[in-house]
Amino acid sequence: MRLLIRSIKCGSYLLSAAALLVFLGLFGFLGSGSGRILQHEGLSFWNQADWFFRADTYGAASMLYGSIVVGIIAMCLAAPISLAGAIFTAEYLRGWPRTIVKGTIELLAGIPSVVYGLLGVLYLRPIVFEWTQIFLPESGDTLLTAGILVGIMIIPTVLSLSDDAFRSVSQSERETSRALGLTDNEVFFHAIFPRAFPGVIAAVLLALGRAVGETIAVYLVVGRADNRLPDPWYSLQPLVEAGQTLTSKLGGSEVHMAYGHSLHWSAIVTLGFTLLAIVMFFVILSEVLLIPFKKYRMP
Amino acid sequence: MIFFKQKDQYSLIFINNGFVLNRQILILGCLIFIMAVPAGWAEEVKIRIQGSTTVNPVVTEAAEHFHQTRGWTVLVDTQGGSSGGISAVGEGLADIGMSSKPLSEQDRQRYATVNFQPVSIGIDGVAIIVSEPVYLSGVTQISRAQMQALYEKRITNWQDLGGDRRRVVFYNKEPGRGTWEVFANWAYDGAKNAPLVNHPEVGSNEETRNKVGHHPGAISQLSYAWTESSSKIRALDIMTDEGEVIPATLENIQSGVYPLARQLYVITADNPRPEVREFIEYLLSQDGQRLVSKHGYLPIH
Repeated sequence: MRLLIRSIKCGSYLLSAAALLVFLGLFGFLGSGSGRILQHEGLSFWNQADWFFRADTYGAASMLYGSIVVGIIAMCLAAPISLAGAIFTAEYLRGWPRTIVKGTIELLAGIPSVVYGLLGVLYLRPIVFEWTQIFLPESGDTLLTAGILVGIMIIPTVLSLSDDAFRSVSQSERETSRALGLTDNEVFFHAIFPRAFPGVIAAVLLALGRAVGETIAVYLVVGRADNRLPDPWYSLQPLVEAGQTLTSKLGGSEVHMAYGHSLHWSAIVTLGFTLLAIVMFFVILSEVLLIPFKKYRMP
Repeated sequence: MIFFKQKDQYSLIFINNGFVLNRQILILGCLIFIMAVPAGWAEEVKIRIQGSTTVNPVVTEAAEHFHQTRGWTVLVDTQGGSSGGISAVGEGLADIGMSSKPLSEQDRQRYATVNFQPVSIGIDGVAIIVSEPVYLSGVTQISRAQMQALYEKRITNWQDLGGDRRRVVFYNKEPGRGTWEVFANWAYDGAKNAPLVNHPEVGSNEETRNKVGHHPGAISQLSYAWTESSSKIRALDIMTDEGEVIPATLENIQSGVYPLARQLYVITADNPRPEVREFIEYLLSQDGQRLVSKHGYLPIH
């Protein structure tokens, strides 16, 4: 019996080590692949927008910009809606309506992104084109369209995870705070919300990672125009112009062309490395943001 | 495996004829059937084809023909367009590459050990297409100089070309696609001379047709075969440097007057398998060439 427990323990250590090894391997592979282009371009790979593979210049600033902007738009759209929705499903819905609503939301979260992409092509694109007419948009394929589409896509994920966070606050704590004479609103804002907040933050950042990493839906509606940066930097005009994100570049046919051409290939690999670094940044950020809330955790 | 196959047939006969609902036989039969199926697959002929979306419809239909008459498995994929097809053959990932541009010296150098065998199976024209509102507002023809001005964004409104006041949206075919290279050969005498621009890009022919059709000020390059199937897009006439206006029609492409035309190829590595050779011979036969014309291209003979 002791041997069994020991071997299970040993096995779980090994498996967690494997997860770490896979990550380090990926990081190492992508990192070493970017050596060549960084020698060629240096920092201008990230801060210049001159991606012309036919002239052998690679500056990915516009893709970085595109990815960040799409992530921000998606977040601004998804976070408030999902938070409000989660409060409703977790605190006000009871019994079988809750089961149905929660089930439907989880079903929505499971729909493949290409389906959202096609719906975006068919319906969202013309709507965005119509609504942004006063800004003289180039077409319906814009960073804004991509941001809204991704925002819609991640709502079910954020909602479902936030809902879980609210539900994880125990019944005894709710009852205790009621016993102290708090009103419904006070119970929610002073007892439940602070306890669930770390979970909500985790949900939002997880979804942000998905928004930045989303490929096919973005690819279909972003327009895929290279090297466009706002001028001046706070200008919002690029939102209604075609743009490019890290993922739409990686999803395109340029990857096939790059294969076999070492400098071009290294540039593509570095785009992947940049994407990994961004997602890593969000994960670390969520951990750091959660430190002050750790004390609320159940013992 | 033969043993399993025979067994498999016996047990199936049992179930079909005698209604022997003996559970053990049924389970055994199912098990053997499951094991025998992959064994049968392994013996099948499998051909992998990759490349240009332009050549794709013809080859896909030929693939269906071989699947129905011979039971071959022919996988056709359009990842990466012509360049993707050529690299796939070079890497040994595909048996046949479909390409709508001739093999370049660069391709041959990149895969120096592979002796590519290109075979021309048809001719295709590239049309300059605009959305219907642009055409109806009076822009019905385009010269090389006008095309360059549009491509380099020196003209950004259709007003300058005699149309309505409407912003020009240039959907550029992804550089590297055969269609784009035909365009660049015409407008700039070769892909190398084409200026570096930042237009929104489109990939497949379906995408091009759809996006141009749905945006009132759009222009793009599209395979001629795809222009007739949609009423929302129109092909512009080409005005040559001598001032002659050449409509984009099948006759003009066939006679070689129309300047934006190209050969379509299937490409194999050296010494293809007999099945692969047979597949290509079929494409060159009368039946195969009928498929080429059916999809709007011109037969080679």
